[in-house]
Amino acid sequence: MKPETDFKTPSVAAEGIVKDFGTFTALKRVDLTIDQNEFFTLLGPSGCGKTTLLRLIAGFEAPTEGEIKLMGENIATLPPFKRSINTVFQNYALFPHMTVSENIGFGLKMLGKPRAEIAARVDEMLALVKLQDFAKRRTGQLSGGQQQRVALARALAPSPRVLLLDEPLSALDYKLRKEMQVELKRLQTETGITFIFVTHDQEEALTMSDRIAVMSAGEVLQVGDARAIYDRPANRFVADFIGEANFLEGRVESREGTQHRVALAGGTLAATGDVPVDPGAAVTVMIRPEHVQIVAEKTEGGLPALLERTVFLGTDTHYYLRMQDGAEFIAREQNRSATVTPFAPGANVHIMVDAQSTRLLRD
Amino acid sequence: MPSKVKSFNLRRMPGFTPIALAIFVILYAPIVSLVVYSFNSESSVGVWGGWSLRWYVSAWNNEAIQRATLNSIQIAIISGAAATVMALMAALAMTRTRPYRGLTTKYALLNQPLMVPEIVTGVALLIVFARIKVWTGYTGPAYIFLAHTAFCIPFAYLPIRARLIGMDLTYERAAADLYAPPWATFRYVTLPLLAPGALAGFLLAFAISLDNVVISEFVKSGGQDTLPTYMLGQLRRDMTPEVNAAATVLLVISILAVSVFFVFNRKKN
Repeated sequence: MKPETDFKTPSVAAEGIVKDFGTFTALKRVDLTIDQNEFFTLLGPSGCGKTTLLRLIAGFEAPTEGEIKLMGENIATLPPFKRSINTVFQNYALFPHMTVSENIGFGLKMLGKPRAEIAARVDEMLALVKLQDFAKRRTGQLSGGQQQRVALARALAPSPRVLLLDEPLSALDYKLRKEMQVELKRLQTETGITFIFVTHDQEEALTMSDRIAVMSAGEVLQVGDARAIYDRPANRFVADFIGEANFLEGRVESREGTQHRVALAGGTLAATGDVPVDPGAAVTVMIRPEHVQIVAEKTEGGLPALLERTVFLGTDTHYYLRMQDGAEFIAREQNRSATVTPFAPGANVHIMVDAQSTRLLRD
Repeated sequence: MPSKVKSFNLRRMPGFTPIALAIFVILYAPIVSLVVYSFNSESSVGVWGGWSLRWYVSAWNNEAIQRATLNSIQIAIISGAAATVMALMAALAMTRTRPYRGLTTKYALLNQPLMVPEIVTGVALLIVFARIKVWTGYTGPAYIFLAHTAFCIPFAYLPIRARLIGMDLTYERAAADLYAPPWATFRYVTLPLLAPGALAGFLLAFAISLDNVVISEFVKSGGQDTLPTYMLGQLRRDMTPEVNAAATVLLVISILAVSVFFVFNRKKN
């Protein structure tokens, strides 16, 4: 075990993890490094392998290949009860034959802690999740939100190095989910424990995470903070999965460093890409609907489009446009003033986007 | 508004009520008459002579009945408990592992006593035990305990297995996640959650063992009568309502055991 003062060793590291279930490969060589005291989110559609990865870290499954390191030590072959990692299960899995207190104290009891210490820690946890009045209740008598808190308290009570959360908010209604997002972030900051959170909900991921790993089909496509993933997606899948995105097909005309001039139907746009692409190559550019400005007159750097439908939504107006090559394009504008009248359908307009918001995608 | 389309309703089929009534009469009339005649003051099982508890007192004081009853209850408790423990282990082994080759065969083998006619099992046990008795010279009650345990296993197994299958695996995962080694997981999580199923299994096995005649008759040695085999023996002599009284008591015990079984099984839902 590394000394407690070591803050550099990654809390959890997955190195070359492969997981096969018979002929199906759930994880194709995943490499991930999760720092200490980090709120890390595994985000992806169902079946992308995020839950499998979580179960490998928890120890419910063994990897086919690769190592899982906890504070630098390979734990891939340890059973779950020998890992200082606790899980908040999707359906909470609270023991129905025990009281709230007994549930929270279970981990400490299994670790052989003295009674008095367990009682003190349980009280502390009850206070942390604000359930002091429910200590003696059976878990079946609690609401969904309360069960969620008990599940959190139970997993946090033994002070694990890492807390795994498997879509813990999916069973809650919208308002409660919002509250719990704030609560989870607070608990993570207060306890200083590494949280690994699995979700398919991009909003949850963006709200709480220090960093997000976007997964698809058993692979990690991109790791970064919310802004990096949203503003600088690594590829089309990430751009499409997080938020809304328009994709336009074009050809690189000229390049200067990471700044590219891309020829599209009806004009050219300045686009930014992390990887330089040589002139002549066919590329896709990604534009977020809210980064677009719509103007009536042709201006320098504008692309012509036909406005097909205008949807007024109070705070925003959504424009459904058709580009000259037939591609659909969505633009969103905030209604900043009551004096502005949205463009009417049928108008020939031009779209304007700045070079930083026009992303060149690798595929 | 009620729908105009008539749905199929068995109760409205012609003859439903008379057929149902006939079946109930055939099923329960003999039992009712048995119970009624157990209170007969006459010494005939067919001629009514007025209400009396005479035969209950007589049965209570009959040493042969006493011995047979104690024997029956002892066998039902010990064999029922042994069958429950084995059924529990079998159910764990067959629901808490990944499916493997031979699982279906094992399941079929385990439930064999439900399928094979009792008389076949009885004769088979008689032959095998007779040989063992010759070899070892042992003629004690172990044979009957063993035989009852064997045929009680599937009855104890079914409710336990049903309970285990209905039980969410994540409880056991959660326990392991919270530092409980396999034995502690079983002791603190699986077993307490399983208890109603195990008790239901035991009660069912108890009731099945208590009223078994065929296998007991083949396996018992001299002086090892159970209540049912004793009653069967009495039929060959002058039958008195003493048998009715004993049968009524047996009936009440069985009904109690099965009722408790249902109460425990319903609780889980």
